[in-house]
Amino acid sequence: MKPDRNKKKTSGGPANPSAPTTKRSTPAAGGSKRGSRGNSEDSEPTAGSEPVPVWLFVLMALMLYSGMSYLHTYGGGFNPKVYENFRSYKLVDSANPKSGPEMLIAKGEALYMVCAACHQVNGMGVAGQFPPLMGSEWVNEPNPARLIRIPLHGLSGPMQVKGQDWNSSMAALGSALSAEDIAAILSYIRQAWGNTAGPVTPAEVEAVIADTSSRSMDGSRPWTASELMSIEVAQ
Amino acid sequence: MTGMNTQSSETAAGQSPDQSAMSKSRVLEADKSCSVPVMFLLTWALAWLVGGGILAVVSSIKLHGPGFLAGSAWLTYGRVQPASIHALLYGFGFQAAIAVGLWMIARLGQAELMGRKGILLGGAFWNLGVCLGVFGILGGAGTGHPMLEMPGFVSPLLLVSYSLMGVWALITLHFRQVRSLYVSQWYLLAALFWFPWIFIAAQSSLVFHPVRGALQFVISSWYGHAVVALWLVPVALAVLFYFIPKLLGRPLHSKHLATFGFWTMALFAGWGGVQAGAPVPRWISSVCIVGGGLMLLPLIAVGMNWWFTARGAKPAQGDFVWGFIRFAAVAFFAAMLLDIGGRTRVIGEVTDLTVFSSGVYALYFYGVFGMSIAGAVYYLVPKITQTEWPSAQLIRWHYLGSMVGTVLITAALVVGGVIQGLRLNNADIAFVDALAKTVPFLGLSTLGGLILVAANVAFLLNLVRLLTVCCRCCCCLPWNGTANGNKAAAVGANL
Ligand code: HEC
Repeated sequence: MKPDRNKKKTSGGPANPSAPTTKRSTPAAGGSKRGSRGNSEDSEPTAGSEPVPVWLFVLMALMLYSGMSYLHTYGGGFNPKVYENFRSYKLVDSANPKSGPEMLIAKGEALYMVCAACHQVNGMGVAGQFPPLMGSEWVNEPNPARLIRIPLHGLSGPMQVKGQDWNSSMAALGSALSAEDIAAILSYIRQAWGNTAGPVTPAEVEAVIADTSSRSMDGSRPWTASELMSIEVAQ
Repeated sequence: MTGMNTQSSETAAGQSPDQSAMSKSRVLEADKSCSVPVMFLLTWALAWLVGGGILAVVSSIKLHGPGFLAGSAWLTYGRVQPASIHALLYGFGFQAAIAVGLWMIARLGQAELMGRKGILLGGAFWNLGVCLGVFGILGGAGTGHPMLEMPGFVSPLLLVSYSLMGVWALITLHFRQVRSLYVSQWYLLAALFWFPWIFIAAQSSLVFHPVRGALQFVISSWYGHAVVALWLVPVALAVLFYFIPKLLGRPLHSKHLATFGFWTMALFAGWGGVQAGAPVPRWISSVCIVGGGLMLLPLIAVGMNWWFTARGAKPAQGDFVWGFIRFAAVAFFAAMLLDIGGRTRVIGEVTDLTVFSSGVYALYFYGVFGMSIAGAVYYLVPKITQTEWPSAQLIRWHYLGSMVGTVLITAALVVGGVIQGLRLNNADIAFVDALAKTVPFLGLSTLGGLILVAANVAFLLNLVRLLTVCCRCCCCLPWNGTANGNKAAAVGANL
């Protein structure tokens, strides 16, 4: 462990290739040519200072950019649910079976086109002609019993929606749409555009159909607002 | 670390004769101080290289001759294969890397290697750990995580003995006489710190507090990648950056380019391991693909640097060493390109779940790492032991054998993997038929493995013969004459 001691003992050492047996094979390694190469042999490597070519930085920028756009396109949005065969969560989602309410809502979104002709895609209705569904107390009523009746048999006469008076009539759609379709549409409008009511199940729609079997669905006996209000519903 | 790009790496060049004589004697001291610990680590490393190689051949034979040695549970494929990887990676890979790294740190800093007893102790425990690992795996206690198969109790032992050796590398570096750091030292220093990081991260989340399901796969794949990209490759680069300019007798083209290559590699090398198509969220394999693409940057920087350094030059010394170094340098590009290409979705779709990746690993391990280590060993052992290699013939055989063996294994597995993948993806071909077509390729890789074992036996034999020559004149036979008495005392004092 004492460096000084070593230094003295080995100072004559280096040019002293040890055993005679090695002579035959001296070309084996670089070390054998000791001396003949002089100083260069054992000098340690040094590095020049040429600059890094500018194009290498340009290339780096380009590659970082394309790496980022690759991740943007093929990274599945860094969503842990997106596996190899799908590019985005949307595709995964559409390829998967839905749970009850979610499936109803997704189906309702497509079927809402029937209502959108009058109430508009954004649910705002048309001033003076079609009342809004967005924020409507009729749509957002916790118990959907009254709401279900509106598309089933139609609605006409004076009514109030969001504090405004309306007096027009809406056709009955009950004969054109199944109970499940109506449940889907209503579930959709009850959570779209900031509405916050719960979904409507096909069973609830069927129960209303059973309760109102005396009323025809061809639009000949639409509800009036006061009729609807007189129905007893559990809140 | 910011100093590395501003300081120049002048050493011997441009010094007055006086200084140069001083640095020469410091280099000598540095070399000699390494002798005992480095030779200890190297001898064991080569023993593991041969032992692990034999296990690898056994496991490779089992792929095309499943009846071979099938009688004993200890020698089933599921145990022999990981045991061979473990022996080769931790027994040879780490030990040889540490041995060469310690020498390079002492040599480049022109400082004596510090803590030689600590290093010996660490080395002894490391070997104990590797040994327990191999027997643990063969005994059936493997963890099942590729590259981390050793039973859980072994890893703390490995980590502690690694630290025992690594600490002295840092201390030696700290007391270096040449203050500026050369490129090789950056890579060594980085690898020195990267390994405990990846090892602890992987061990703790796989073995000690296992994470859930698919995440285990992600971590173990990442570790398998990182141990190559953040340990084997940086160490090989340290060796290559050292020897290419040194043997050619020229300065390295540009330290700025080297800085660029180092930092881009440091940033992007870890982004890998999960093959496209793996059953995990797609962003993970996408990141690995992007990481592969970005690794082209260090590849280009390193390539330009070596190219402009080596263009038109002939090695001024050490023809044997140069042969190994040149092969390793070329293999580095081949392996990186295969690796990066194999990660892309187009190629990965074909090569995923085939022997392709084993071929790339073999090229990294034997071609890039093994060959650069061999070159370094042929250079440094005569310096630190003051003894010439006993047999040039054995070196020639080792060189030829490892070249042929590496090329054969790599080509067989890469080509075989592609063919296997194309057939697996073809729904008209039965699974068994697709596998049967790979058998000839597996046979070729076994042949390559056998040739490698033979070559490495030559390597080991030469080293052992050198050691007996060296020991006869110093320690083992002190009665052998007074002429060697000094040297014996010197070696004793070196401890
Ligand atoms: C032909 C145009 C038309 C279509 C199609 C239509 N509605 Fe109406 N809807 C009206 C009109 C007009 C009123 C107002 C009736 C009144 O004034 O008494 C109304 C009122 C309503 C109301 C009560 C008022 C409100 O705004 O909350 C609801 C709920 C409603 N419609 C839901 C629907 C649903 C659900 C559909 C699709 C299944 C639909 N409507 C389709 C024209 C339409």
